[in-house]
Amino acid sequence: MTEKMCMVVSEGTFDKAMMPLIMGTTAAATGTEVHVFYTFFGTKLVTKKANPKLPGIMRLFTGVFVKKMKGVGIGNYNEFMQQAIDLGVNFYACSTTMNLMGVKESDLLPGVKVLGAAAFLKLASESKTTLFIG
Amino acid sequence: MRGYAITVGEILLEKDATLDAKGLMCPMPIVQLAKKVKELKSGQVLELLADDVGAKEDVPAWCSRTGNQLVGTEEDGKLFKFYIRIK
Repeated sequence: MTEKMCMVVSEGTFDKAMMPLIMGTTAAATGTEVHVFYTFFGTKLVTKKANPKLPGIMRLFTGVFVKKMKGVGIGNYNEFMQQAIDLGVNFYACSTTMNLMGVKESDLLPGVKVLGAAAFLKLASESKTTLFIG
Repeated sequence: MRGYAITVGEILLEKDATLDAKGLMCPMPIVQLAKKVKELKSGQVLELLADDVGAKEDVPAWCSRTGNQLVGTEEDGKLFKFYIRIK
């Protein structure tokens, strides 16, 4: 059976946005089935309008980071997200926080599924690796 | 048709393809490697060129996890060369 890996993302800043994509693309490229669950402030990262910035005053330097990432082949957040989708990484938005954050199903990126905690916990219980990014 | 013969250390290999991942940083060398490997046939040898320091540990780890065989490595200054036999 294919090995599974789960991640939970609860923050919506640029650094927290990139980490699951770095881990997720690598795991998917290694043949692992990857599931990433976005909750609370992370939920907006799987919307079409996602444009994460670094936290606090560092937000002003997000562009510098993006430029550097383009230089090393990673590209901007949306391009990297597309790479992950192409590699078969599964993305989920938490149904409850979608309500709290005012995110509608039509706002989500194509391919992102809406999931509840019980369904995610089932995936997590079947996974060898579970990471919390928050 | 096989590629041309090269020597890695003491071993003589026939390389079938080269993936130039110079200038790319983690996780891109691994992501590109996984894509390239899908295009190759079992038994073929891929040469991977990378200059990300992380690749030194990442490529052997990827090979052992995926069952592809790392048949040779070379270090040339800041450049790493990996030779991978496709499973």
